[in-house]
Amino acid sequence: MAAPLVLVVLAAVTVRAALFRSSLAAFIAERVEVASPLNAWKRVVEGLALLDLGVSPYSGAIFHETPLIIYLFHFLIEYAELVFMITDVLTAVALYLAIQDFNKVVFKKQKLLIELDKYAPDVAELIQTPMEMHYIPLKAALFYLLNPYTVMSCVAKSTCAINNSVIAFFILATIKGSAFLSAVFLALATYQSLYPLTLFAPALLYLLQRQFIPIKLKSKSFWLYTMQYASLYLCSLVVIICLSFFLLNSWDFIPSVYGFILSVPDLTPNIGLFWYFFAEMFEHFSLFFVCVFQMNVFFYTIPLAIKLKEHPVFFMFVQIAIISIFKSYPTVGDIALYMAFLPVWSHLYRFLRNIFILSCVLIFCSFLFPVLWHLWIYAGSANSNFYYAITLTFNIGQILLISDYFYAFLRREYYLTHGLHLTRQDGTEAMLVLK
Amino acid sequence: FQDQAEQFFRSGHTNNWAVLVCTSRFWFNYRHVANTLSVYRSVKRLGIPDSHIVLMLADDMACNPRNPKPATVFSHKNMELNVYGDDVEVDYRSYEVTVENFLRVLTGRIPPSTPRSKRLLSDDRSNILIYMTGHGGNGFLKFQDSEEITNVELADAFEQMWQKRRYNELLFIIDTCQGASMYERFYSPNIMALASSQVGEDSLSHQPDLGIGVHLMDRYTFYVLEFLEEIHPASQTNMNDLFQVCPKSLCVSTPGHRTDLFQRDPQNVLITDFFGSVRKVEITTETISLDRDLAGFESEFPEGELATEPLKYAEQLPVAQIIHQKPKQKDWHPPGGFILGLWALIIMVFFKTYGIKHMKHVF
Repeated sequence: MAAPLVLVVLAAVTVRAALFRSSLAAFIAERVEVASPLNAWKRVVEGLALLDLGVSPYSGAIFHETPLIIYLFHFLIEYAELVFMITDVLTAVALYLAIQDFNKVVFKKQKLLIELDKYAPDVAELIQTPMEMHYIPLKAALFYLLNPYTVMSCVAKSTCAINNSVIAFFILATIKGSAFLSAVFLALATYQSLYPLTLFAPALLYLLQRQFIPIKLKSKSFWLYTMQYASLYLCSLVVIICLSFFLLNSWDFIPSVYGFILSVPDLTPNIGLFWYFFAEMFEHFSLFFVCVFQMNVFFYTIPLAIKLKEHPVFFMFVQIAIISIFKSYPTVGDIALYMAFLPVWSHLYRFLRNIFILSCVLIFCSFLFPVLWHLWIYAGSANSNFYYAITLTFNIGQILLISDYFYAFLRREYYLTHGLHLTRQDGTEAMLVLK
Repeated sequence: FQDQAEQFFRSGHTNNWAVLVCTSRFWFNYRHVANTLSVYRSVKRLGIPDSHIVLMLADDMACNPRNPKPATVFSHKNMELNVYGDDVEVDYRSYEVTVENFLRVLTGRIPPSTPRSKRLLSDDRSNILIYMTGHGGNGFLKFQDSEEITNVELADAFEQMWQKRRYNELLFIIDTCQGASMYERFYSPNIMALASSQVGEDSLSHQPDLGIGVHLMDRYTFYVLEFLEEIHPASQTNMNDLFQVCPKSLCVSTPGHRTDLFQRDPQNVLITDFFGSVRKVEITTETISLDRDLAGFESEFPEGELATEPLKYAEQLPVAQIIHQKPKQKDWHPPGGFILGLWALIIMVFFKTYGIKHMKHVF
């Protein structure tokens, strides 16, 4: 399977190189959907220039990257385009390997459950076969590399690509079963942008499953493992943060990075939900609503953990999607990451109910973003409400997409154990409803 | 001759500046631009060169698409007097006329890249005429229909000018509604102020021109212009005559003036002290010896005066900064400890994951 992957990688690199050389690069780099105050390339350059002038890059409100990014780009700033292309390729390769391993795990588990007779007799058509699962890793790498969102994010040199690659490596490490590496990468991902903290739960669940430790609250081995993993994660996080202190000999980066992510002071429009609300919020209430909005990201972890404890990788997918919808400064690069996973759940296609409308909504909104931006900012004949309406619609589309997949997944699981033709007690055909 | 020479050194100013500001845009505020251009014309005619005039016009009336007579701005009906010509130098135009730019011009706190024509390079021997016109209210003057300057800000700007020794004497004329409120708050010495109307009164416009379709001038400035047309560089008319211009019968509003901060008697202040650039040149065929008594004149000041060090001319055009490059700063490098720590961690993680057996392949 290496050859098709290499071909895909080559095609992706060509597309990106072509776009880097064209005049579109400057245009895309300025778009607010692609570059947010957290990951815009302009700000990285500005921060490094400030550093050359002897001023701390965190002294203004321009630079919100972590010190490790400063270190990385200090030496690589001339090769920035190459760095971002390599990052994208690394992410795709990591996803490829991760999904390959995941398929093996799924297949093994399926075989075990069939042998244990856990499945109903008439669900033969629902069971995944190796034949259809053969091309899924390639499709996932393809989805990630050739997704217009990823291409735009790479051409804009947004450091979202680096965030994505760290998360992809984290997923690879988790699926391979190495708790240590997984904790290290998760700490790196949390250090980069705060929200991957919520991925701790699915990673833990997956590793527990892999170690065959049952997830019961009273079980001692469960708590032991959890403590081990948590301590690995926290220690690596602390070590990384302390190391960043030594780069500039100051703790300035903590309010600049994490304070900025959490308190959302910059209200430049983007594809997220924060800016419009907080642009018109009274000062008095802003703290309350910031807390409410931020809680929204972390809030779904526990209920999803309870519901999806048998399926941690799907949980990880849903959690990444929730992060990229509800985070304070989302960009299309974040969306590209969870969309790369959609081929893994392609067997759910027959249970998806709204996929046509949702894909239309997402595609239309993606095209309408620049149109309404132009109308608002340049032509002056629209206002922020137009742009926010499209933002809202886009996010509703994404949320419905995720809940559609969620519904389809649970429905398939139900059918697997209870048979395809469900009947009610009086013999008529039953409908499954997600309550 | 001794007395005349003494008078030569005793008179206050050696150069004249003018800052003429029109703050309104849009076609129907034609009269404000015409006002400013009339004063510009008079001031130029009486000798102040363009290099000493900062003219700020917020909109372009001469080339406005609604102007039936393009490239002209008339100040009198029947198009008798065109105050626009081909030697009008506008320094701040259109959207550059903002409160911030105006205050920066006055106080001299401008970015080093500002061209010389946009600077007020006055010193402590400059007499400055500041003329402002537009729409105003009680305590403020509207700029460009989007922001205001308040009388407090203006007073503080003048105080900054005084403390920086940027003027010898200042004449402030304002032609707006409730104009007198703008000079109420001045507290710096050597300022004389005139306004076209008192607080609570509106300044009215003079006549509409049916050919152009708008009012061409405001009354107060119209009569001031008429008055100034009589002045020539050698005239001895003084400020008291200027205060009589435009009585209530002609102007409908009551013009006001303020002289309490001014040290000389308005009777002794010539119009050309502010509106013209009169160089005191006296041609004589006799030699006058400037003996030490003249230098001793300075020490006649009472000892109780502030014993400050002699005031130097402040460097206003930072030539040195513009010409000489600053030495390039050394690049920043990450500290060695950080690099060591980071790579040690990375190597530790690598070996922990893949086992120590790879060590012998590395070395």
